[in-house]
Formats: sequence, C-alpha cells, structure tokens
Amino acid sequence: MATINEKISEEIRAQARKLLEAKEVEAFLGYCQGSLPMTARPFVARTPEDTDKLVWNSFCVLNLANYLPALLKSLEPPRGPRDPAPEGPLPRAAILATGCWSRNIVIQIQENQVDRDRVVICGIASRGMVAQAKVKELFAGREILKVVEEDHKLLVSGKGFSEEINRWSVIRNNCLTCIHPDPVMFDVRIGEEGGQRKSDNRFADVEEIENKSAAQRRQWFEEEFASCIRCYACRNACPLCYCPTCFVDDAKPQWVGKSVDQVDTSIFHILRAYHCAGRCTDCGSCESVCPMGINMRILTKKLTSDVLNLYGSEAGLALDSPLPLTTFKQEDPQDFIITEQPADKGGE
Amino acid sequence: MNVYKFDEPGLAAWINKLLETVPVYCPAAKGEKCGTHPGWKKMTEVMLPGTGGPAGSSVKTFYFPQPEVLSTCSLKKNDDDGLLLKEPAPAAEKQVVFGVRPCDGRSVELNNLPYAEEKLFQQNRERTVLVGFSCSEPASTCFCQATGGSPYGTEGLDILISRQDDDFLVEILTDRGAEMAGEGLTPAPAAEITALEKLRAEATGSNENCDRLKNKDMAALYDAAFWNPLSESCLNCGVCTFLCPTCYCFDIQDEALHGKTRRIRYWDSCMFPLYTLHTTGHNPRGRKVQRVRNRFMHKLKNFPDRFGPLSCVGCGRCVVECPVNIDIREVVTDLLAVE
Amino acid sequence: MEPKKNWEPKIIAFLCTWCSYAGADLAGVSRFQYPPNIRIVKVPCSGRISPNLILNALNNGADGVLVSGCHPGDCHYISGNYFARRRFALFDNLLEFIGIEPGRVNFSWISASEGEQFAEVVKEVTAKVKKLGPATRLVKKINEAA
Repeated sequence: MATINEKISEEIRAQARKLLEAKEVEAFLGYCQGSLPMTARPFVARTPEDTDKLVWNSFCVLNLANYLPALLKSLEPPRGPRDPAPEGPLPRAAILATGCWSRNIVIQIQENQVDRDRVVICGIASRGMVAQAKVKELFAGREILKVVEEDHKLLVSGKGFSEEINRWSVIRNNCLTCIHPDPVMFDVRIGEEGGQRKSDNRFADVEEIENKSAAQRRQWFEEEFASCIRCYACRNACPLCYCPTCFVDDAKPQWVGKSVDQVDTSIFHILRAYHCAGRCTDCGSCESVCPMGINMRILTKKLTSDVLNLYGSEAGLALDSPLPLTTFKQEDPQDFIITEQPADKGGE
Repeated sequence: MNVYKFDEPGLAAWINKLLETVPVYCPAAKGEKCGTHPGWKKMTEVMLPGTGGPAGSSVKTFYFPQPEVLSTCSLKKNDDDGLLLKEPAPAAEKQVVFGVRPCDGRSVELNNLPYAEEKLFQQNRERTVLVGFSCSEPASTCFCQATGGSPYGTEGLDILISRQDDDFLVEILTDRGAEMAGEGLTPAPAAEITALEKLRAEATGSNENCDRLKNKDMAALYDAAFWNPLSESCLNCGVCTFLCPTCYCFDIQDEALHGKTRRIRYWDSCMFPLYTLHTTGHNPRGRKVQRVRNRFMHKLKNFPDRFGPLSCVGCGRCVVECPVNIDIREVVTDLLAVE
Repeated sequence: MEPKKNWEPKIIAFLCTWCSYAGADLAGVSRFQYPPNIRIVKVPCSGRISPNLILNALNNGADGVLVSGCHPGDCHYISGNYFARRRFALFDNLLEFIGIEPGRVNFSWISASEGEQFAEVVKEVTAKVKKLGPATRLVKKINEAA
C-alpha cells in the first residue's frame, strides 16, 4: 500500500504535469530524490517530462520559498535595469508550500518580493520533517546506507544492521512545536487537510534560556556560536534573506568583521536573527543546513516569542495582517524606556 | 622509513606520552564545542577513530588558521614603533593532529602545489605533525580512489597508523614524524609490513578520471548544458568550500581599531558574490551558475591542467553536508560525458 | 580586565534631531550640569537607529549606548518613534537574552523642552554604565596574536 508521502508525490507529479502542459506555469518548484539517504534536492521542473522526478518525503527540510523571488525574476524576459517592465502578464511559477513555507510566501508578497498573481501555490499539510542529524546521532558510529520511510516509522539500514525507528522521535525541533502545519494560503491543495496542531509550550526552549542567570546566558551564547565557520548557510537558506547586499558584505561602514572572531561571529548572529524579527516563521531551514550543528534558530524563536507576547501577532498568517514590525499601536508596551520607568532616585 | 607495531594499550600509552609534550588535536563530534579550530578539539584522553570516513572538518584549519595575522601596526605617531608595519613572530611551536585520514593528508600535499613558496603555509606545515589513520572501511560517500588517492595512502602524512586485527602498525613517514615517535619502539615483523604494502597497492586508486578530464576541451566543458540545472538549487553558501580540504582561497583585510591596525588573512569562498566583485561594481562572476561552474571547473579542470592532479581528494564532505545535495561525483560523471 | 584608575566610560548617544538633540541643546543653554561622558550622534529620527549602529558603537569601544527620541505622539514624522519603539523593545530583549548586562544599551524619550530631564537621563545612564565597568562583550580586540 502506498504511504501518505507516496500518494502526495503522485498528486504532485499529476498536478505539476497538468500545470505545465496547460502552460499555466513555466516552472514548478519542488523536490527530487537526492543522491544520499535522507536527502531531497530542490528541483525546478520546466517540462511535463521533468515532473516524473518530483518527490515528496520527510527530508524536504529546506524552505522552497527561498528560491521563489529569484525564480520568478529568472522567468521574466531579460531587460536592463532602466528598461520599462514588459507589457502583459509575466510568466508564472508553481511552488509547493507547507504551513511555514506558505507563511514565508505571504511575507514575500507583503514585502513586494513576489507577485501573488504570478504564483500558483500547491499547499501540502506538513507532517513534520525529519532531522537528519537526529537520525545520525541515533546511529552514531554506524553508517546509514538506506532509509525507507513509512507513515509512522523509518527503516534505517546499513552494513550489518537494519532497525526500525519511530518517525516522530526524530522530527525536527521546530516541527515538534509547530502549530501551523497547514498552509495558510494556497491555490491547489495536495493531500489531506492538516488541521490545527497544539503544542503545550512552544517556547519551552526559549524559556529555559531566559530562566538562566545573565552569566549563564552569556556562557551559553558564547559556547553555542563558537564553532561557527561563517559559511552563511543559515543566511542563504533563509527565505527572508533576499537583500541584494547583506549587511555582512557592506564595506562602508563595515558592520561586522570578516574573519572567524568571537565578536564578529556574535554580531553576525545577533543581526541575522534580528533582521528576521517579526518575520520568521520558524521553518527551521537555518538549523537544518548548518554544517556545524549550531542552534541559531533559538535566537529567531526568542524574537518570535517576544513579538507574540508584546504585540500579539505572528508573521505571515494572512495577507491582510501587516507584519508586526511594519505597524504599531499607540499603547505598545514601553516599560524598557528609562524615562517611562517610575522614578527611583538613589536606588539601584 | 620505520614501521612499528603496537597493541592497543601500547598505542594508548604512546599517545598519552604525546599528550604530555605537545598540543594534540583530534576530530570533534558535530555540535561539540571547540577552540580556535572549529571541528577539532584539544585531545585530553585517548580516542581512536573508527574504521573509516573523514572527520567533520578538514585539517586545513591548521594550515590556514583564521584570522591569520600578516602584519600589525600602531597608528599612534608618538609610539616608538608608530606607523611601522611589523610582522608577527613566526609560529614555531609544534602541534599534532591526530586521527587524520589519508584523504586529508593528501590535501596538504595538493595545497602545497600552489603554496610551495608561501611563507606562512610552509611555517604551519613545518610545525604541524599529521598522525594519520587508514580507512579499512571507507564511508559510502568516500571516493578517494576515484581522485587518485588511497584509503591507505601516505601522502602528506607524517605518521600513518593502520589497524591490523587487534594490533596497530605505525609507519613513520617523515623526520617530523620520527621526532614525535620517540625511541624504543617495537619494529613490526617484515611479513606484516609486506602485507600492509600489498593492501596499499591493491587499494590505490587511479588517475584515469583526472587524465580524461585533462584531455577534454576546456571550452566544451565550460559550455556544457548541465551547469544551469545543477546550479539552480545552489544556495551559494560556503559549506562546500569551507569544509573542503583543498579549497584554499583567502581574502585579506586591514582592520583598524583603537589606534591599532592589523592585516589579516581569512578564508574566502568562490560561492560568495564578493569573491570576484571589482571596485567598479562590476562582477565578472555575478550569477550563481557562473560561481558554481567556477568551483567545479577549478577543482576538476583548471587545477589539473596547471598542476597535474585533481584538486579534490574524495573525502565526500561537500557531498554529505551540502544543504541541497549537490554531488561532486555526479558532476565528474557529467563532465566526463561531455564530448 | 580591571578598570583603570579614574576610568571614565564612553557613552555614545544617538539623539533624534527634533526632540532629544534639541533637549540636549536646551540643557546646554540652560546651564544644566551633566557628565561629559556622552558623545552625541545626531540622527534624523529615532526610527533611523538600527541595531547595526548600536552594535557598531559597542564593537568600536563604546562602554554604553543611549538612544533617545521624541515622546510617543510627538514624532516630527508622525510615527517614526512608534515603529522604533517596537524594534527597540525586541532588540533590548534580545541583548538581555544573550547575556548583555542590562544598562549597557538604554532607550529614552526626551522632548525639546526637557533640558533638565536630558541632564538627568545622562546622569542616570552614566552612573549605570560606571557601575557596570568597561564593556567587554561585543568589543572587538585586535591582538597581535591571532
């Protein structure tokens, strides 16, 4: 019997073929099989024949919205920077979108990076993606040569071993606490509706750090980011990072030094996270792609938690609700402003 | 040179003796906290590597530490040495890197080709002793033999340790290695040395891929149709280049702060747009496909044309860690298929 | 690092040109005394101040930072400080999260007529930073050895 993901893959292929054959879209952004166990490769199908390669599984960890602005741009007829925009509708692209990816597309539309009329969103309710690192840790010292996915378990095998593990036990941390697995906006639904998920305490990991002392937090921060090699995979995997020139590449002024230096690395991570404030959907791409196993996602999650606590909103849930940092209320809390604090002269 | 034989306690005792005299680094697990060399930690107790597969990070961090200070200068005119460029004292203290795979050892030899006359690289080479461990069972992502290497290869290493059943054969390959090895060790029986030599001869890869690529027309490879679809998924992050043992590109920058300045060298990546950006604002490799093509063309065509071997040792790190699963083995196949 | 004797903190103050800078001006004209530790950077609006600027100040050796704009409702550009307020709140929390001492980076509202309050705020911030000692976090060092 076909598994859920096999059925979804089948539907994706049929849908992509239909859209491409009808010339409704010029490109279909999805995933194809990777060359290693537990990998999936982002893939753009441009012809109906290409669509046979499309797959869907629990290893599609990279947020496809990351490619969307550039893909749409590449579909436009080439023109110089001062040439007028071509007349008539521009070519369209289709994209697969789970809950968080669709929220990122909403944000890209709100931030004028993506034209809603040019995207066909094929929504898939996410069942949570598997963290490759967690599986590898379970099988530390043994090389995994094959992973077969069933609905609720993974069959992991290698030289001299073959074991079954529970799929949910190796789900990525961001998926474990996700409450929006269902796409918030889509044109075509693929697979079954996902419904709402509950999480007892989504921000438990943030609170754990918040509850530490300042000295402990400092130590945690310095240790966590010490192994960063500044490859910028976290930045480049992020669908929010589309600036033509990133602040790390600015030379005048130079905001952050280039080398592997504790201070420079810290500043890079603080500012990278901060630039995602009120925009991050906790899609987990940054954490999934880090070659050094750094949990930089905790910083953006802290910001998400603050935005929710202070302003009661979350990014990308609906096209008509503005991003938290592009709006304000007159009564926003301001107890951190020193002139607004109760006078406490002579005291601490 | 000499080959010695150890049993496991003997090897542990030998390593413990090393730990007392020099800083010894060994591979760290992913996510483990490290010091100045990400991916490598100071060894505090004896840990022997497994049967195969490379460490998470390459040894190049010991040859191209970053930031590497090239010169310093005080900006205060009234200082005695104000406005005078000074070179830092050459780093001379020995360091041992333990558990290096033959692929990484070979990478040092390959990097030495373009860096043959580079002072700092040679200094670091002089002070770094690589203690290798052969791979009796290479990982599925390893392809050192396809690049001309061998899981029992000795190139670039100072000492190579090979498991033989429950014992270890320790080959001393250089003077640097002999200095670390010390004296009074048990020589290995001749028969076992012959057996190891035989194993090595059988496992040694071929240069066939390299030779075939060298015979291809550069322009034809450059214009191949597969670059576009290949690069489409690339994120242009630096994972592949920073984990690659044979990526040696660097950038130089002057940092000036608090009346002092220093000129530092640090890793650069051809995946970054800034890599080729001109001061005019023009970027000759401004598009992603150009950057991806350049990375592979340099490793698989330009470097062999100029220096002989492929600039790839087949460690498979880029294959394993690439966030979008771009696989250099497939690129080699694609390139070989170009007519 | 032990603070040197007679150590005086350097505090960078980012002041909006319409209110807080004018407030500082008034403090001067009215001869209100305040500690000479602050170095003022005039910006068009508190909405202009990005965390890049604040971190850059610390990175380059400032011991403390003061950011000040118009009171809510008084912004010359109608709403610049409302947007800034959200951003500052999040940034302040993020700095605390990673263990930066509270009081290194300070935010305030000072209007053009509040010369005395300006002097008070500078006194308060200077005292706080003095108590914290020289900044050690996010301060870049150029050592000869790498």
